[in-house]
Amino acid sequence: MLEVAGLTAGYGGPNVLEDVSLDVEAGELVGLLGANNAGKSTLINCISGVLRPRAGSIRFLGEDITRAKPSDIVSRGIVQVPEGRQVFPRMSVLDNLLLGGTTAVARPRRADRLEQVFTLFPRLKERRPQYAGTLSGGEQQMLAIGRAMMGGPKLLMLDEPSLGLSPLFVQTIFRALRELNAQGLTILLVEQNLNLTLSCAVRGVVLERGQVALAGTSATLRADPRTRQAYLGL
Amino acid sequence: MTELLIQTVVQGLLVGGGYALVALSLGLTYNVSGIINFAHGDFLTLAMYLALALQTAWALDPYVSTVITFPLLFVSGVALYWFLLRPVARSQLLMVIQLTLGVTFVLQNGILMVFGGQPVRVPSDWEASLLILGDSLFLRTPQVLAFAGSLLLALLLWIVLDHTETGRRIRAVHQNPRAAALMGIDVPRVRTLTFGVGIGIQAIAGALLIPGTPIEPGQGFRYTVIPLMALVMGGLSDFRGIYLAAILIGVTEALGTVFVSGTSGMIVPYALFVLVLLLRPQGLFRRA
Amino acid sequence: MRPDFFQFLRSPLLWIPVAIAACLPWGLSAYHLAIGTLALLYVSLALAWNVVGGIAGQISLANSVFVGTGALLASALYIRLGIDMWFGMVIAAAVSAILGVFMSLLDARFRLGHLSFALVTLAFAEIGELVVAGTDFLGGASGLDLPKDHGRFWLFEFGGGPGYFWAALVLALICLVVNQAILSSRLGYYLRALRDNEDAAQAIGIELFRSKATGMAISAALSSVAGTLFARYSNFVDPTLLASPNLTIEIVLIATIGGLGTPLGPLIAALVLIPVGEILRGQFGGTLPGLHFFLYGVLIIVVVLTSPQGIVPRLLSLRRRFRRA
Repeated sequence: MLEVAGLTAGYGGPNVLEDVSLDVEAGELVGLLGANNAGKSTLINCISGVLRPRAGSIRFLGEDITRAKPSDIVSRGIVQVPEGRQVFPRMSVLDNLLLGGTTAVARPRRADRLEQVFTLFPRLKERRPQYAGTLSGGEQQMLAIGRAMMGGPKLLMLDEPSLGLSPLFVQTIFRALRELNAQGLTILLVEQNLNLTLSCAVRGVVLERGQVALAGTSATLRADPRTRQAYLGL
Repeated sequence: MTELLIQTVVQGLLVGGGYALVALSLGLTYNVSGIINFAHGDFLTLAMYLALALQTAWALDPYVSTVITFPLLFVSGVALYWFLLRPVARSQLLMVIQLTLGVTFVLQNGILMVFGGQPVRVPSDWEASLLILGDSLFLRTPQVLAFAGSLLLALLLWIVLDHTETGRRIRAVHQNPRAAALMGIDVPRVRTLTFGVGIGIQAIAGALLIPGTPIEPGQGFRYTVIPLMALVMGGLSDFRGIYLAAILIGVTEALGTVFVSGTSGMIVPYALFVLVLLLRPQGLFRRA
Repeated sequence: MRPDFFQFLRSPLLWIPVAIAACLPWGLSAYHLAIGTLALLYVSLALAWNVVGGIAGQISLANSVFVGTGALLASALYIRLGIDMWFGMVIAAAVSAILGVFMSLLDARFRLGHLSFALVTLAFAEIGELVVAGTDFLGGASGLDLPKDHGRFWLFEFGGGPGYFWAALVLALICLVVNQAILSSRLGYYLRALRDNEDAAQAIGIELFRSKATGMAISAALSSVAGTLFARYSNFVDPTLLASPNLTIEIVLIATIGGLGTPLGPLIAALVLIPVGEILRGQFGGTLPGLHFFLYGVLIIVVVLTSPQGIVPRLLSLRRRFRRA
């Protein structure tokens, strides 16, 4: 479904990503692992089109999207839940959700999807008229995921969804992700929490200093001591 | 005395309505782009001189010629944002301010070269028309129309920004441009078009303010500074606050001019602005 | 004071151009000499602004207040009260410095950001113009006429073209030396530290208010002195010229086109732009008034878009690269 080949990228300075390749098949939940600054966020920002890669290609559903605009990429069905949630603080929960489905492709189906999001996270339904900035961190994360679902993604990418959340909320969020995956949604999950990610991902890819260090099924990665080493930056 | 007071306050309200027209469009461009455009008032001047040219050439009333001037200003706003402001949007504030000051020089002196520096009046059928309320309140019809126009514009902005999909997107771009892009909103496009509309509104403001007022090429700066004060006093992104602050400036200016004597009275709004900026930097009407 | 300051004072690169400039009155026509004098006055104004706008990185838009104070207050004291204009110049400079310190006080007390500081100073500029227009002592909106210059030096009379050219040259030189002195001193180090990172500079104990206020006072006093000389030179103080915010904007644009921070940028920009502007005004003033300001505008837009650090630093770095190659 998603094929990333030989991707190299950076922010003005040296390369943050170097020659990274990665495939995601339809229906999979793939974990993208690695220590801080390994280049995980850079990779998904390239896929989302908010960062132009220096070399390499990204293909989605057989079409090249390497140089596509972010808005175009969302319309094609890749939606990112950014790190730190990035909700629109001075807008209601409902407005935030509606904005998730603002593309021309998504708008006709907004009403149905709103119901689906409210079923997934009933809490959001209660909070509908409230400003998003007044929600707790966990609620904001639910909102960020719900907002992304409003776009009707074929591939959902999440950047550190557990960051700064209480264990209870982390469980809720991951239960929702498993549920979405079980319904057939393809997910690329960027996480620092190794065990949590491997417990719900089929496969994992470990990045280390901008390069793919390891890749394999969750079981092999869990058994491989190098996985942990990559985390500690050894 | 009370009659004078009422007449003055009403006059101030009307003048404030005029300021509000310009301040709201300034607020729109500022909020969507994050850039304070010091040439904003010069686009008003441009609109007025275009109306003058159309009046001279085809005898079009300024109210009518907005059909032509609005698209022209919209396009120049789009061009200004796309070619000049967008490339520097991320650099230092000083640089962005300098750039818009450069645009000010170009516009003011471009107008000066084309139309000359003498103040001119654009004749309008409405110029001399008066509305008389009760037995002592005289209002100039064009000013009442401008005030009504400002209310209408405020209403329109409120409807569009708070109750349409376009408005929701504009607010999203203002609050978090990166997240907006990740929602599939074409951020540069929203910014450019909204900036264009903000400049385009100056065409309408120009037509409403023109009757009975002499215009000259150097007036633009004043029409940047006063709306800018309204913008800051109103709390930058609170359109109701901006509107009220513009009205307040109009009223204090009128009161100052009538009751403090001549030019010293015109200081009152500036002094008020400095006080507000020092004591309530978050804006007059916003809770800290 | 770092040793490079004394090196600068001894440098032939400083004194040879000054010596050549000092000889110009014998070689130039009255018209060209007048342009030269104006250029030197703008050098002083741009360098005075550079202390706050360039070295300290604060967008001050109030310099017209200081120039206007220097021009109008000193002139009014002379005409109305018979106070010697040398003394008037000092009084005006002191008043300007106090006004500048007051603005810095507001800045420090209320922790204004860059934008708020720009707006507050702009409001002061507008207020200043209105105060002048409303005060008869200062000549109101119609300005002040100074009595004829009889070349009495002790009365601040420099007796015609060459005298004023030399006076302007001395003032420009003083402004240049002051800029260099600030850059080579602890104050310059503080101001640049504050410009680059206010919070960090404060955290390591740089006194925000004292540094900024000193810079502001110096900038205000120099602007004011330039204003007094400008007034005496033109014999007539036009408030729409010398007390209006447009003057500040003109100064700011010239300084930025040249390049901020170091004195060389504003210096060269004023020396090039003012003569070019004046000659354009002379050629096209009748047919195309405003052409030179129009071109300034175009120039600033091009400079900000292509080399935001200013033209002079850009040329210097190009030269360095050329030498290395």
